[in-house]
Amino acid sequence: MSEQNEISRIEAAREKFRAALAEVRTSSEFQELRNSWLGRKSGRIAEYTSLLKTAAPELKKELGRAINELRSIVETAIAEREKEFGASARPKNAVDITLPGRAPQLGHRHPLSLVRDEVMEIFTRLGYQVLEGPEIEDDYHNFEALNMPGDHPARDMHDTLYLETPIAPAKAGALQPSRPLTLLRTHTSAMQIRHMENNPPPVRLVAIGPVYRKDDLDLTHTPMFHQVEGLVVGTGITLADLKGTVSAMARELFGSAEVRFRPSFFPYTEPSAEVDIRCFKCAGAGCALCKKSGWIEILGSGMVHPAVFEAVGYNPDEVTGFAFGMGVERVAQLKWGVGDIRLFYENDLRFLEQFGI
Amino acid sequence: MKAPLSWIREFVDVEASAEEIGAMMGLRGLPLESLEPHGDDVVMDFEVTANRPDCMSIRGIAREIATAYQLPLATAKAVALQTNGKLPITIEEPELCTRYVGAVATVTVGPSPKWMQDRLTMCGVRPISNIVDITNYVMLELGQPMHAFDLDKMRQGKIIVRRAKRGETMTTLDGKKRTLTEDMLVIADAGKAEDIGGVMGGAASEITSATTRVAFEAANFTSSHIRSTSKKLGLKTEASSRFERGADRTAPPVAMARAIQLLEEIGAGTFTGDATDIYPRPYQPKTMRLDRARITGLLGMEVPDNEVEKILKSLGFEIAQAPSPTSQAPAAWEIVAPPWRVDMHRMVDLIEEVGRHYGYEHLPATFPGVEQAPPPSDPRIARDRRARTALLAMGFSESITLAFIEAKAAEPFLNGNAPVTIANPLSELFAVMRPSLLPGIIDALSHNRRHGRADVRLFEIGTRFSPNGETRGAGFAWTGLASLDHWSGARRPADFFDVKGVIEQLAAAYQVTPSFADVSALYLVAGRAASLVVNGQAIGTFGQLVPEIAEARQWPRVDEVYVGEIDLDALSAASRAETLRAAALPRYPSVVRDVSILVNDSLSAETVRGTIRSAAQPSRDASARQALELIDIREFDRYQGKGIPDGKVSLSFRLTFQSPERTLTDDEVQAAMQQIITALTRDLEAVQR
Repeated sequence: MSEQNEISRIEAAREKFRAALAEVRTSSEFQELRNSWLGRKSGRIAEYTSLLKTAAPELKKELGRAINELRSIVETAIAEREKEFGASARPKNAVDITLPGRAPQLGHRHPLSLVRDEVMEIFTRLGYQVLEGPEIEDDYHNFEALNMPGDHPARDMHDTLYLETPIAPAKAGALQPSRPLTLLRTHTSAMQIRHMENNPPPVRLVAIGPVYRKDDLDLTHTPMFHQVEGLVVGTGITLADLKGTVSAMARELFGSAEVRFRPSFFPYTEPSAEVDIRCFKCAGAGCALCKKSGWIEILGSGMVHPAVFEAVGYNPDEVTGFAFGMGVERVAQLKWGVGDIRLFYENDLRFLEQFGI
Repeated sequence: MKAPLSWIREFVDVEASAEEIGAMMGLRGLPLESLEPHGDDVVMDFEVTANRPDCMSIRGIAREIATAYQLPLATAKAVALQTNGKLPITIEEPELCTRYVGAVATVTVGPSPKWMQDRLTMCGVRPISNIVDITNYVMLELGQPMHAFDLDKMRQGKIIVRRAKRGETMTTLDGKKRTLTEDMLVIADAGKAEDIGGVMGGAASEITSATTRVAFEAANFTSSHIRSTSKKLGLKTEASSRFERGADRTAPPVAMARAIQLLEEIGAGTFTGDATDIYPRPYQPKTMRLDRARITGLLGMEVPDNEVEKILKSLGFEIAQAPSPTSQAPAAWEIVAPPWRVDMHRMVDLIEEVGRHYGYEHLPATFPGVEQAPPPSDPRIARDRRARTALLAMGFSESITLAFIEAKAAEPFLNGNAPVTIANPLSELFAVMRPSLLPGIIDALSHNRRHGRADVRLFEIGTRFSPNGETRGAGFAWTGLASLDHWSGARRPADFFDVKGVIEQLAAAYQVTPSFADVSALYLVAGRAASLVVNGQAIGTFGQLVPEIAEARQWPRVDEVYVGEIDLDALSAASRAETLRAAALPRYPSVVRDVSILVNDSLSAETVRGTIRSAAQPSRDASARQALELIDIREFDRYQGKGIPDGKVSLSFRLTFQSPERTLTDDEVQAAMQQIITALTRDLEAVQR
């Protein structure tokens, strides 16, 4: 009785095979189909043939006929499609497309350079001009004009590196007015002064580039790092404008537009604020990145101090302005989860190659 | 500033937890750095900004908390001390010591009570003895540093505030003998300096277990003076860090009264009634104007009048005059700043007080309008991008290295200039500003090598420094294989012509026609060094790095390193990109001919090319030739060896001819080729092969 069932099952298998063959699209699928039907050991036809050994003698003949019929159908059909899919269908000059390509070598961008470009692009789109400025500065532009006279306690925050021999400004081709260049700029704010000295308001700029401080190399410090400084001066510029601007930037850089201001102190701004963004990783719930606070500090900012305006010849009763300064390394660390700031200066290809172009 | 919550609560009845207070104060300008439980108390460590010496006290912190939570601040625990002038005090330098209050007490020296010791310990101050602890306790509570002298050790019982004498020495309380200079202020007795005013006391008049009579000091010293003395001595103390930021000139008699109150409360002694207050420079209250319109104008949010007044009053400001509702003049307040607010100078300072306590969380996010088209950005940005793009496309990865390097690493790159040296470098590793980008890149090569990467291409675009100022350059290094290992091809190490190719492409990226000259540079192997010359000026150098230099930077000397550096300022100045006019495409086909010659191998390729070029264009007025131009010469083969006599070289050139006027005939090209071969034979003794 069971053999009788097997016969009808074998007859039904013809249709199954035809349907499966119709589905085949690629050469590997074709190989697979062939193996599953004609495979010597585990193919279906081999499986059916093994039934003959145990079949009742009166049914052996009929079973054998059904199997042979199926085999002939399968073999004919496979042979028919062989041209299309089979190994012998490979053109004579075919290549092994799975061998590696001969890639022209392409360099990788440094992550700090990528952030720098992204920031420049954001602010260029917001109507800012982008400036660079000298890295060797005089005391006046780096400190004094920024409301940090000689004995100002805030100078302690900027552990300054000085030159053994000052460089004459004329030689450096510095902008006027200028004094002997004695130090490595501790912040890009020095560039603000140079720009305002030479240009009337309104101002809308970002200054970007390396700055230097006497900080030992460790997980979070390098004696050279990069800053982005923003400055907007005009009539009626407010702290609320700063909030809007920083939100716009944070949205572009981190996808998080919620910001909060924490009052702080910088000699060159009044009021001053440190700006946090809502943690973009945990959306404020608290995680390792934001040290469970839900907020990430990204920059220092404030309204330009009237003494700074006076130093550059702007009238603080007529114009107001905001300024902010942000660390490029910090942005890159946050964006890509880089724990050790020193990685940016080792230039290890295993690190650089993780970034695109 | 460490502040036990229990102590804060003596001044402000705040119910919030330490965590809640910390979160709130972070948004009000007094951020909490850390919290540390201490028994059933908790120590709150606040981060006090440099402009707020008044917050270096429990009372100052409590005042900020009171304002933030809109609570009253407890009144002072003691009122100003009455003085009888019987303690002899002289101030010789009223500009440096603006006030000196001294008071005499008879004392029994011993340990202070546990509660006082606990509080001092929580604030990070070591308990010493009841008398010294009282002075520290008052300083922490009120922010007024104090000192106590053993009055019996003070010669003639006198206190004289004067400048130190030249070479005067004194042993300070930390046991160090210090030599003073004439610009330092000391508190002296009739003979010697006993205290460095506002910085640290002296060992000679220190309170000991034998002390029975004490002179307490509560004085005011000028901030800039304390700052410079502290810096010169390399001595920063709790007292100096308060004075150097600016102290309240009205505080000394109040602090003195509090000290005496504590003295008697803990049973450590009795005030004798002898006290003197010398006050040569009385504090002048500061009256400031606050325009209502300027608050909105600066912050971009409106703060209601009653909020403005509430905040300022709570912080200790006096409203001398409120805006008049009838006056035609712009609405404004007259505000008197409290004497402890040494940071109040201008209207913006008041606006910040109002803004931060009203809360920046109320700030709307607005966007400043663009008043005019922005002026152009620094041209270097677009310019550098061109070099960066070209180098990336040539397989170089971008590096950024520290701009200061070791002095000896800079030496070969100085090019005759003095190094730009750092006066106070972090270490010898960061002693000079780089004269070239190459030392940093070489170190990066070595770093990669140490981490298993031998085939490296790196570049950096950055600033180079010399006594003549800053220049912008692009430097690069190439070592290892010329192309990635591939199953299809042979390995070939990078060589001189790989870096020359890079330089040629960089020039092409700036549309500059390059020429090359021999150069000698300390860091390049002689005979494998060249300079890029543009308009007669050398603006770049490249070649093989001297192996010893690489070796000194932990690079194996047997592995060749090729380097190059271009002055991007000069390269872009030479660029024709600004004046570029696109040429029309040729209308007639070009004709290509090859020629192979045998010449002396001492002839440079440039000489042979020059001969070919001038032979192809013999004279400008030969009308037959005018139409024919040799537009390209390419060396496609160079061979020495089997079949070539010694001292000779076989060169093959592919020449491309074209005419802007018509299709060239075979005869014309043949004639030109003949002319070229004749010239090569005649001038260079070439033999055609």
